Amino acid sequence: MLAGLDRTAAMQFMLSRPLVAAPATGLLLGDFWIGLQVGILLELLWLGRLPVGAAIPPDDTQIAVAGTTLAIVMGAWTGWVGLPMVLLSLLVSLPLGKVGQVFDRFARYGNGRLLVKAENAVGEGRVAAVDSLHLMGLLLFALASLATYLVIVTFGSLLILMLAPALMPPVEAASSWLQLAFPLLGVAMTVRTIHVRHAAVLYCLSFLLVFFLLWPHG
Amino acid sequence: MLRRRLLFRILLRSFLLQASWNFERMQSLGVVYVLAPALRVFYQGDELARAYGRHLAYFNTHPYLASPIMGTVLSLEEGGRNDAQSITVEDFKTMIMAPYAAMGDAFFWGGVRPLAACVGVYFAVLGKWWAPLLFLVLFNVPHLLFRVVGLFGGYALGLGVTELIQRLRLPDMAIRCKQATVLFLGGLSAYLVVQGLRGEELWAGWGLAAIPLVIVLGWLGSLGVSNLMLILTFSALLLLFYR
Repeated sequence: MLAGLDRTAAMQFMLSRPLVAAPATGLLLGDFWIGLQVGILLELLWLGRLPVGAAIPPDDTQIAVAGTTLAIVMGAWTGWVGLPMVLLSLLVSLPLGKVGQVFDRFARYGNGRLLVKAENAVGEGRVAAVDSLHLMGLLLFALASLATYLVIVTFGSLLILMLAPALMPPVEAASSWLQLAFPLLGVAMTVRTIHVRHAAVLYCLSFLLVFFLLWPHG
Repeated sequence: MLRRRLLFRILLRSFLLQASWNFERMQSLGVVYVLAPALRVFYQGDELARAYGRHLAYFNTHPYLASPIMGTVLSLEEGGRNDAQSITVEDFKTMIMAPYAAMGDAFFWGGVRPLAACVGVYFAVLGKWWAPLLFLVLFNVPHLLFRVVGLFGGYALGLGVTELIQRLRLPDMAIRCKQATVLFLGGLSAYLVVQGLRGEELWAGWGLAAIPLVIVLGWLGSLGVSNLMLILTFSALLLLFYR
């Protein structure tokens, strides 16, 4: 919930970014490195989506937190551990994470009602009520985050129990490619949306330079 | 003159500016919450209620650049009680919020955050446990500087803080950060691809296929295909292949 609040409502220290929220969850659940793996896979995926104006970006925070929870808890339960379980957890968490945008929207509509109440209070001269009405918004945002987390973890656990026996062998076999697909897709989208002149050319030149520097050792 | 301790309280409150963010007037209730301790010093009774009412008007800007605006608003509120001013508090807020939002979005969300994230991910891929901390430090040093210096500077300089912000040339700095991000992403992609191919014991030359792949993915994104759809489709194809 703290990471969820950091997205919009409070602080915005970027504790909500997957690279921070996922390892922190991992640390709390006893496996920091699983969390760090989740963070690496998710951090770049929606990096190009900016939280501008009224736009609500996908809730990568709760996907990271819930994905880490699923990877650790369901891994211990089913016996499948490591990268394949991380990948399967993320593949079920990603579509479920769409509900985060719905809950976030509910919270913001709820805050609209707080604004009306605040206006009425000011009109009646009860200015002291404004502080508490404003802070109630924190509760709505926190509940939205909690609801998103619970939906992903609950339905994600069921999906993993149902799908793991069939999906785990191909996930294990394809794990190194899947591990590459997440950051590369994020990179592609970021380069597309970053609004820099000749971004694709700069990207290609940098890629080729590093690639050929590493080549002799390949 | 507001006491330093009161300004510090306002600074702490500014971290909760968006707690009641709503579609109707966005940060307006947050502005009242942030300014409340000072408004209670400046006004009493009906005047205080009127001041609260004035600040409940529509307001939306970048949360970090709200600090210099809040500082200037405090200065104008204080000055407005003493003498006539060339600009009202409401006019100032209306005039400045959109340009500051654009600058903040471009610099912090579009520039600093992706760059810090790339550096953080690179060190995380290397297995460094402190990579998330490095990301937080890289991002939060400019963030906190803006919040703290912005509020205190805005209060001390009044309208002069806009000149100070202008001199920082944030849009230019944002472009530099974005260029560095693109370069870093190129290097990071190459590193990940080479590591992936080594793991699979494949010829390194196959890694060059990553460039057209990234371009095609970006093109699909520009057609409106979402990241979620792309990653799920890509994963499904891989799983079918390895089935």
